[in-house]
Amino acid sequence: MAELIAINPKLHATLRIQPDKAELHGRGIQLLPVVPAEFASVATQSPIVLTKNGQTGQFVSVAMLGFAPGENLWFADERWQGAYLPLQLQRQPFFLGQSGDNGQGDYVLCLDPDSPAIMQQHSATTNTEQLFQADGSDSAYLQHIKGVLAELLQGEQQQQQLVQALLAANLIQPLSLEITFANQQSTRLNGLYTIDQQKLAALDPATLVQLHQAGWLAPIYTMIASAAQLYPLIARKNQQLSLAV
Amino acid sequence: MTEAQRPIKTVVIVGGGNAGWLTAGRIAAKHKTKQGGVKVILVESPSITPIGVGEGTWPTMRSTLIALGISETDFIRHCDATFKQGAKFARWVDGSRDDFYYHPLVLPQGFGKADMAAYWHQQRQQQPHGSFSNSLCYQEAICEQGLAPKTIRTAEFSAVANYAYHLDSGKFGQFLQQHCIENLGVTHILDDVIAIHSVANGHSATHGDIAAVETKNHGAIAGDLFVDCTGFSSLLLGKHYQVPFKACDDVLFIDTALAVQVPYDSPDAPIASHTISTAQEAGWIWDIGLQHRRGVGYVYASKYCTEEQARATLANYVGPAIDGLTVRKIPIVSGHRTRFWQNNCVAVGLSAGFLEPLEASALVLVELSAQMISEQLPAHRGLMDIVAKRFNQTFLYRWDKIIDFLKLHYLLSQRDEPFWRDNRDPATIPQSLQELLQLWRYRAPGDLDFTSNNEVFPAASYQYVLYGMGFQTDFSHADYLLDNQDFAAQQFAQNQKMIQQALGMLPTNRELITKIRDYGLSAV
Repeated sequence: MAELIAINPKLHATLRIQPDKAELHGRGIQLLPVVPAEFASVATQSPIVLTKNGQTGQFVSVAMLGFAPGENLWFADERWQGAYLPLQLQRQPFFLGQSGDNGQGDYVLCLDPDSPAIMQQHSATTNTEQLFQADGSDSAYLQHIKGVLAELLQGEQQQQQLVQALLAANLIQPLSLEITFANQQSTRLNGLYTIDQQKLAALDPATLVQLHQAGWLAPIYTMIASAAQLYPLIARKNQQLSLAV
Repeated sequence: MTEAQRPIKTVVIVGGGNAGWLTAGRIAAKHKTKQGGVKVILVESPSITPIGVGEGTWPTMRSTLIALGISETDFIRHCDATFKQGAKFARWVDGSRDDFYYHPLVLPQGFGKADMAAYWHQQRQQQPHGSFSNSLCYQEAICEQGLAPKTIRTAEFSAVANYAYHLDSGKFGQFLQQHCIENLGVTHILDDVIAIHSVANGHSATHGDIAAVETKNHGAIAGDLFVDCTGFSSLLLGKHYQVPFKACDDVLFIDTALAVQVPYDSPDAPIASHTISTAQEAGWIWDIGLQHRRGVGYVYASKYCTEEQARATLANYVGPAIDGLTVRKIPIVSGHRTRFWQNNCVAVGLSAGFLEPLEASALVLVELSAQMISEQLPAHRGLMDIVAKRFNQTFLYRWDKIIDFLKLHYLLSQRDEPFWRDNRDPATIPQSLQELLQLWRYRAPGDLDFTSNNEVFPAASYQYVLYGMGFQTDFSHADYLLDNQDFAAQQFAQNQKMIQQALGMLPTNRELITKIRDYGLSAV
């Protein structure tokens, strides 16, 4: 877990970031949190499902990238293989911390000091970005990062509202999947949840209108449609297994 | 329309408390009171405070809360509730310091597929230290580590390991009351019942049906069925119908409880996830961990110990923390009415009877009664006598079985104080139990030993107590029970695996309760 180091122009005047390496943070991540605003993009690549946060038990929407903890089938050859890089990876190596003893204060832009995207002294890479201009103002890169983080912050609130709406309408059901791969090994997926399509189809008109007006119908149907990405994901796994033989 | 065809449209419950509100809630939820179904009226005296027995429940409480439409998160937040995974009986066998066994809520591994008691007995020849409960049930290890039966990711009412609750009885009553009134459409009348109006031309030889209860300020409240939840006073069944009380103090000697509420040392002190019952000179001490305090009490037989001695025993158990705390003395009259349903009146809770709290039987009997009344509520008066007869048969059987099971704990002890010696006197042991004990000398308890399809204590419970307390079954004539060694070895290994898995994934009871207060459990 990264410690909280607040960014400031004095301390980080010479710091250089390699944005291409932000995606290295996706290595070994099976379930990557995604927010409703990017569902449509994510759904072109991955199934979007719900899982429960291990600390709080609260539902979070995630892109399913593998079939077992630590497995990310979209990460190979030290690269993210998809056309769309989810916001959670785009924002690396930065995050928003909250100041104050109880973590309830203002948001502070922080840096993961252990990130592989931080350029080391001896690195000869040219594709780097600085955080600040000579006059101490934000670089275009930093402005971009702040934009991503703001989008994520708002997205996480929307994500929680979506979950509340799904719970209120009783639309979440456990996803029970037993998948057999080409090598006849099978795996059972536990702890994942999805939209209950039967209950969705049977919703009363008033609830349906509420979901529509709140803007939740699009993410709901995107989640449903994204389930089809399970097949390409299985194909990726089978391909990996065939290479391993 | 004849009297016999009169439909049951109004149920009047006399008395609040947990019995009253649980019964009101079960009937109102099942019979759609709020949507205009059967009317449920609860009349409660404003001057009587409920006794508040029972801080321990059974896993049945989960289905009860579900049937009432209550969220588990709300229940835990409002009733000071914690998770309970069975009971630990300390110093019951011979009184030594390290003497303990568990009666957990998870069935023994392989139960119902093979007679694992026989294999355990065989294995024990090589491994004398593997207790029955720890060799065949992973829950003892969970309890010993103070862990919860589930995680914050487990849905409401779902379990990793089967569980019940410990709760604050007073808060539970308040919580149920609010839910019944606001969500289930129960009518609440705060008033004293001052008279009972009978129908002259009744069904019984001695008394007719109850037509109405007369209240001080609200006049006569008429109904088709009356539920007596008036506690020990048993206003309708006992006082009005004069149904006799059958004492069982010849079997169960305990007649007094000294109860005290002990605060925790710190807000994050561990919470035991099981009831701890520690045997004493003339009875035993219960120790129940709620969120904000423990409930501790000494139940004893006054014939064997003075109140002064009992207070000293309790103080010794609690330690210096007892200074300044209020110790409540509660008399215990063990026994039950000889009938529970008479004419159009049925008693639920203390008005029906009471037994010492060794196996937390008070609330579960309320739940089972409320369930049967709500599910078998007769369509019209003409059917009620049949339902009453069946209800009485069912519950007389249940009370007998609970008395047998409580007695089992005492008669197996090797402690040698007079209280314990006298408990082993065959004259104090019910015939039904003596016969079963003779059978169990040569085989383990099995489901066919019991005749009810909804037995209060399954054969597994008898196995936990018998073998936990060192009862010897002679399996030497029963080699046929040992014909599947592979299966048995798998069960023992599986139990060890489950212990490791559970210890690796479960939070402490305190951690989970704190998280539920902070974040809540999801319904799915």
